[in-house]
Amino acid sequence: MSANLSRRGFLAAGGGLSLAAVLGLSGCGDSNSDSSSGDGAKDLKLLLPGAVPDGWAAVLEAVNKKLQADLGFSITPQFINWNNYGSQALLKFTAGEKFETALQARWLNMAQLVGSGSLVDVGPLVTGGKYPNLQKTLNDKLIELNKWSGKLWGIPQVNSAGRIHHFAIRQDLAEKYGITEITDYPTLEKFWYDVKQRDPRVTPIALSQNQSNLTCVPGPVAMFNAASWENANRIAQSFSGGSMPFFLAENAKETGSSDPVPFWELDGVVDALRTIRKYYQDGIINRDALNVDAATTKGLFTNGQTASAWATTDGLSSTTLLPGLQKAVKGAQLANVVPLKGGKSAKPNQTFQADNFTVLNAKGASNERAMQLEDWLSIKENHDLISYGVEGKDWKPVGADKFEQLSTYAFPGFALCWRTSLERRSALMTESEADWFSWAQDYDNFTVDTFASFIPDVNPVKREEAQISQAFTQYGNPLFFGAVDVDAGLDKLKKAVSSAGLDKLQTELAKQADEYLKTVK
Amino acid sequence: MSTSTAAGRRTVEPFTVISVICVTVFGLLCLIPFWMIIAGSFTDESKLSVSGYSLFPDPFSLEAYRTIFTGPAVLSAYRASIFITVVGTALSLAATSGISWVIARRLPYISRPLAIFTYIPMLFTGGLVPMYLLVTQYLNLQNSLFAVILPLLVAPFLVFIQVSFFRQLPEEILESARVDGASELRIFFQIGLPLSKPILAVIALFYAVTYWNEWFHALLFISDTEKYPLQLLLQNLISSVTNAATLPQSTAQAAPVYQLRLALTAVTIGPILLAYPFAQRYFVKGLTLGATKG
Amino acid sequence: MRANSLVMESGSEPGTDDAVPPQRPADPPRTPAKRPRRRPPLGLVLLALPAIAFFVVFSYAPMAGLVVAFKDFSISDGVFGSPWSGLDNFRYFFSTGDAPRILANTLFLNTLFLGATLLTGITLAVMLNEIRVKLFKRAIQSVIFFPYFVSPIVISIILQVLLAGVGGSGGAANDLLHVFNLPQVEWYTQPGPWPWILTVVKIWQLGGYLSIIFLAAITAIPEEVYEAGMIDGASRTQMAFRITVPLLRPTAAVLLVLGIGRIFYGDFGTIYAIVGDNGTLFPTTDVIDTYVFRSLRQLGDFGSTAAVGLFQSVVGFVLVVLAVLVQRRYAKESSIL
Repeated sequence: MSANLSRRGFLAAGGGLSLAAVLGLSGCGDSNSDSSSGDGAKDLKLLLPGAVPDGWAAVLEAVNKKLQADLGFSITPQFINWNNYGSQALLKFTAGEKFETALQARWLNMAQLVGSGSLVDVGPLVTGGKYPNLQKTLNDKLIELNKWSGKLWGIPQVNSAGRIHHFAIRQDLAEKYGITEITDYPTLEKFWYDVKQRDPRVTPIALSQNQSNLTCVPGPVAMFNAASWENANRIAQSFSGGSMPFFLAENAKETGSSDPVPFWELDGVVDALRTIRKYYQDGIINRDALNVDAATTKGLFTNGQTASAWATTDGLSSTTLLPGLQKAVKGAQLANVVPLKGGKSAKPNQTFQADNFTVLNAKGASNERAMQLEDWLSIKENHDLISYGVEGKDWKPVGADKFEQLSTYAFPGFALCWRTSLERRSALMTESEADWFSWAQDYDNFTVDTFASFIPDVNPVKREEAQISQAFTQYGNPLFFGAVDVDAGLDKLKKAVSSAGLDKLQTELAKQADEYLKTVK
Repeated sequence: MSTSTAAGRRTVEPFTVISVICVTVFGLLCLIPFWMIIAGSFTDESKLSVSGYSLFPDPFSLEAYRTIFTGPAVLSAYRASIFITVVGTALSLAATSGISWVIARRLPYISRPLAIFTYIPMLFTGGLVPMYLLVTQYLNLQNSLFAVILPLLVAPFLVFIQVSFFRQLPEEILESARVDGASELRIFFQIGLPLSKPILAVIALFYAVTYWNEWFHALLFISDTEKYPLQLLLQNLISSVTNAATLPQSTAQAAPVYQLRLALTAVTIGPILLAYPFAQRYFVKGLTLGATKG
Repeated sequence: MRANSLVMESGSEPGTDDAVPPQRPADPPRTPAKRPRRRPPLGLVLLALPAIAFFVVFSYAPMAGLVVAFKDFSISDGVFGSPWSGLDNFRYFFSTGDAPRILANTLFLNTLFLGATLLTGITLAVMLNEIRVKLFKRAIQSVIFFPYFVSPIVISIILQVLLAGVGGSGGAANDLLHVFNLPQVEWYTQPGPWPWILTVVKIWQLGGYLSIIFLAAITAIPEEVYEAGMIDGASRTQMAFRITVPLLRPTAAVLLVLGIGRIFYGDFGTIYAIVGDNGTLFPTTDVIDTYVFRSLRQLGDFGSTAAVGLFQSVVGFVLVVLAVLVQRRYAKESSIL
């Protein structure tokens, strides 16, 4: 049985790939499907990630009551836990199930689903004027730049315009060392060394295994890449997440030639690798980044064991970190540090690609109802109900656009109803975070990247890509966490990727990017 | 006989001493992590995050257990899990014993093909999608607890374990019963099974463990939260806690990560540890006889 | 009773079999005629029916899905709609330069795991058999079964506490090395010791579990055998090695053959939870399952995954057939197939 279990463990953990043997039954799936499609339209099935929120029954009842009165149908969301969401959603698409909407993203299986025609192009629906509430909440730039080859394959779910990775730091410690505000990278580095010296039991910053692509390859900034904080105007491109990043020519628009180069040829990247190696040796970063998960590093921070944590401009670091931190460490303060040169006038590059999309299932019972639902959720009252729960019980409004959490209700809004203009801010949000969050919500604070809506198609180089991402995990990650010597490690990585087909990948990327350049001109 | 036993008891042989020492050491190696998990599950997160472990629940904290047991679904989850475990184990034990007996009898033209027939599924599996379609579209078992039980009904591994045990039963007893005119079925029920209590206990225990720990088929086939078995509930909990750090959620769960992981292990093991002594009775009794009388 | 059975070896048939219809269909005349079985064993076959039905429905029917290994799969086309791609999917794994290393790792680690866990299981069972204080024995038995329930994630956490400590510098093992003035080891960047660390983990995890199977087998050993040994003046040591161990051989053989069939499957759950994406440990720990999981998790290439799975199954099948042939030659009694 042990053998059986381990085999199943493989299937379970294998997620998407464990759909290993897909049976012909899927061919018969359609003819056999239920006769209840009429009912299907009266009760929409939605796939949502995560656990069922606390107090969900009451919220769902209120939502359905109102929905029934307004539009004449109800919803039945199915929550699938995060570790299994990707594979389960793909499985349901493959089996031809008739759910209406799902969360998808490039980091899930969106490209595959688009390729196989499983999704509905919502572009014409969103801009057609039929769903005014929805249309009002979606920025034109957001819609335009999230189209893949002219088609919008899902409703982009964002709560800000641009997303810049940065740090949440212990402001109380900084003040203890006489640093009032950190606005540039050298000061930040000094802060870390101060922590190391003055509070040797606190690790200045802890990284987790899923952050390898954030440490030195700019997108447009990288945590320890000083050059990227100086000049945040380059964004790496790759065929899929977690694989070989390339940089395309800065002046591609003028020359019409994308000329991609491997990430190590960009100025500042190798320096960043050396910096990280130094941090690793000096104990500025943790030594077990290759093995710890994000929950652990977060736990370390909220318990005062580390002095900085990863953050991004989604306005959520205060809510996630502050309550736990203040409970464990008396008098702890949090500040969001974005050490961009030029601060809020830096105008870093952005692609404005949404991290998440609500997609419509092409085999769903009623795509029209699904759009009506999205429209309905774009009305502030409805949006607040499903996002924050029952007013007075789960939350209460603070001012016009803030809220205070009263219960532990937590809805995965980014899978269904994130609308930049409707999101309320947590009353807990620190001033420094609120500042940066407001900044990030304005499209004019960013520069549109030349390759903003370029989504490379991996199919022609699938095999090479798989092997290169393999080499990347083996030789790249240790390098990005400073666990190996830079020169020797980079050498090994270069050898491994070139024997796995770097040239072919590079040529293919150049071809596709040049093609793309013609369309933007 | 009794004198020789007494003599055997007086003279302590080196092998016995070595055995006691080795088994004790191995036992301790299992016990210490067990204690670390239990103690850790009652220790405050602030200490766990510093040292990673804790040998004494100090500072004491029930936070993790509170997180687990406050959910409204826990009670129904226990109900579902117990149903799956009890009904599943009973059905599995019946089906497995049946086929094992037939294979064990070495019937020409039947036993060997049947053994191969049983073995092949251990190596070749059709994968997830066929299974999914089978259960949801052909058997229509969505939201039925049998969708969790049936796919696990017979484990080839345990069939072969049982076969090898059945084959060690003294052939003479069976043969004499046959002579006495007992039918094959009666031999199985009235002689084979009663003689096989130890292996039945082991097989039942292993099936019970499998069913108790089962969550994957529940994830696939059960969407009605009222019917979630305990393990799926716990999987969901740990998944949302571990992913909270990387996900944009309007409110993040501020649950104690380290402590919760340990507490989940404790909650999982608990009921099995209660069931274990019942099964143990059968294989320890046989043993004791073998050892002391021998 | 025993006397009876000896005399009645070839069994006349006084009674009638309830479950068996009067005609006697299936008994073929070519049966080796030493013990002619007069009665058609249909009653017995009934016993096997539920399990047979289970295998047909839940194992064999879904196996049709294996054809995807030869297909260029697309979600909307389904298996039969997707175009054939011949052996293209198989090329993915075997064209990587890493294939020899990964195959070698898989074989080496699994052989190590299989041998070590079986040995531990037998040893524990035999040794437990020596313990006569009932309460102690029961307690130990419960305790050694426990690791089987510890999830790989928790094992991974315990290992990190032992080998790395919080923050990755230190750990109990290094504290111990320090006591003996030995140099500190950065375990999580040194691939060398990992096959042995993983083996220890497997022993810990499965030793107690397997010992239960052997304990049950020991109960099947008749009292008389020990009594006879006692009368011959055999010591306990001798009885353990000359009586108990040989009688455990059939069970061990079954477990061994079953294990050989799965030797090309890695223990994905445990290895992945412990090693994860830590590339510095791959030289010694990367097995087929972890490799395939990593390289395809982004692309979700079903065809290639199925191809690798089929390869694992077929190789396992061939190995099992060989193992069974060897077994039939040298130890016919314990042959499982």
